[in-house]
Amino acid sequence: MKHVTIPSGADLSALYRQLAGDYPKFFKMDVLSKLGFLLTEMLVADEPDRFRPREDRAVLVFSREGCVANDRHYAATLADFPSPALFVYTLPNIVTGEIAIRNKYEGETSAYVLEKYDEKRLWALVKEAFQDRITQSAVVAWIDCLSDTAWQAEAWLVTREEILK
Amino acid sequence: MNELINELKLKVIDALNLEGMTPEDIDDNAPLFGDQGLGLDSIDVLELIVLLEKNYGIRLATPQEGKEVFKSIAVMAEYVAANRKK
Repeated sequence: MKHVTIPSGADLSALYRQLAGDYPKFFKMDVLSKLGFLLTEMLVADEPDRFRPREDRAVLVFSREGCVANDRHYAATLADFPSPALFVYTLPNIVTGEIAIRNKYEGETSAYVLEKYDEKRLWALVKEAFQDRITQSAVVAWIDCLSDTAWQAEAWLVTREEILK
Repeated sequence: MNELINELKLKVIDALNLEGMTPEDIDDNAPLFGDQGLGLDSIDVLELIVLLEKNYGIRLATPQEGKEVFKSIAVMAEYVAANRKK
């Protein structure tokens, strides 16, 4: 299975310009969604027909902190003028939607908030996602954002055969 | 008016995170929404409503009203000039 990481504190705007550059909405995203977007670019950029709509690919994102980094930014605006642009990212599953929209994935999307990084539990949940008989592959990511500059971010592109072997 | 137009362009670029864009990239009369022009979306309308209240003391009653005011930077500047409270 293909595996990619983004080091904590990396310059995400520079990475975006290097990997994509054609999706200005990237700059409106919270850090969690930016990382999910970029990790997926790294995984699927060289796939043939990568923007063909498909139902057979799932997106599963795991974290401990969810979207709390963005929640803090949004909370800071509440006393003055609450920001609509920050509000829309105050759910930890938005990242899965951003990945699905960008890549035209129409399959299962799930966001899990775990107590801690638990490899055994994570892969057990991934295995469950393949029980639907439609899903043939999945983007799986562990993205844990403590702030806009500190995170753990890694992702895998896995196939049904690899998971159910 | 030109000064206000330039000021609005800078504030819009900042508020909407239009990375890499400069005031020169925004046509005064180009539509802000839809496929042409800046291609802004419904969340951007809400951000622009906040921008007007925060910077000029202008309160728009509904997002629909915003769609009229935000037709282009030039229309927006005329509205701000006529209605600003600060």
